[in-house]
Amino acid sequence: MAFEAEALPHLDTVYRVALRLAGNEAQAEDLAQETMLKAFRSWHQYKPGTNVRAWLLTILRHSFINEYRKARRHANEVDVHRVEGFTVFEHVQESDPEGRFFDQIVDDEVLQAIDRLPDEFRETLVLSDVEGLSYAEIAEVTEVPVGTVKSRLFRARQALQRELYDYAVEMGYIERREE
Amino acid sequence: MKDGSGDIDCLEALDHLYEYLDGELTPVRAEEVRLHLEKCAPCLGVSQFETAYLRFLEARARAREAPEDLRKRVLEQLLFDGDGDAGS
Repeated sequence: MAFEAEALPHLDTVYRVALRLAGNEAQAEDLAQETMLKAFRSWHQYKPGTNVRAWLLTILRHSFINEYRKARRHANEVDVHRVEGFTVFEHVQESDPEGRFFDQIVDDEVLQAIDRLPDEFRETLVLSDVEGLSYAEIAEVTEVPVGTVKSRLFRARQALQRELYDYAVEMGYIERREE
Repeated sequence: MKDGSGDIDCLEALDHLYEYLDGELTPVRAEEVRLHLEKCAPCLGVSQFETAYLRFLEARARAREAPEDLRKRVLEQLLFDGDGDAGS
C-alpha cells in the first residue's frame, strides 16, 4: 500500500496529539509535518497489516521527546497525586449526581486543563480519550506495560476531573459542598 | 481468585470501573462488574457519573482537524521528497 493512502488519512490524529504534546499550534504543525516526513522516509520499515496509526504516533512521540519536550514550559502543572482519597462524585452526588456541571465547561478550558497534566499522564489521556486508542495500542505507542497505561489513565482522568470540578466551583456552575 | 462465579465487592468493582467502561475487561470480568453495578446503587451512581464525564471529555476534545495549510505542506513535502524509500 502506498504511504499516501495508508498514512496520510491519519494526519488529523497526528496533528491533534502533536497539539496536546507540544502545547501550541506552531510547534504542533512543525511536529506533525516532521512526523509525516520521517514516516514517509522510513515507510519501508512499516510492516503492512500492522497498526499504522500506532506506528505514526510512536514516531511522533519520539520526535517530541527528542526535540521539543525540553522547550515545553511546566508552569502550573497538575499534581496527579492530589486526588488521593478524594473523589469528585462524593462532592456532587447530592447536588449533581449526573455531572451536568461538566456541560457548562467550554472546550478551551478542558484543553487547557489537559495541557497542564504531566507529560506521561497527558499523552496517555489524549491517546485514550481524545483519539480512542485501546490500552494495548497506548502501551505500544508509549512503550510501557498495559498495567502502567491503566494506572496512568486512572490518575490522569481523576486529576483532570478534579481540576474541572474546581474550575466549575470557581465559576459558580456548582456549589462547593460544605465539609 | 475469581473464577467468574463469585461476587465482587465495591472496592473491586470501582477498581475496574474505567476498564469496564472502556470495554477493556474480559467477558467474565465485565459480567462480574455489571452484576455488581446492577445490585449496588452507590456504585451504579459512580458509574453513571464517570460515564457522563468520559462522554463529555470525548465531545470536548476530539473535534479538531489538521489545518488545511498543514495538509498542503505535508503533501508538497512528499512530492519533493518523492525519491525516498516510499517511492520504490
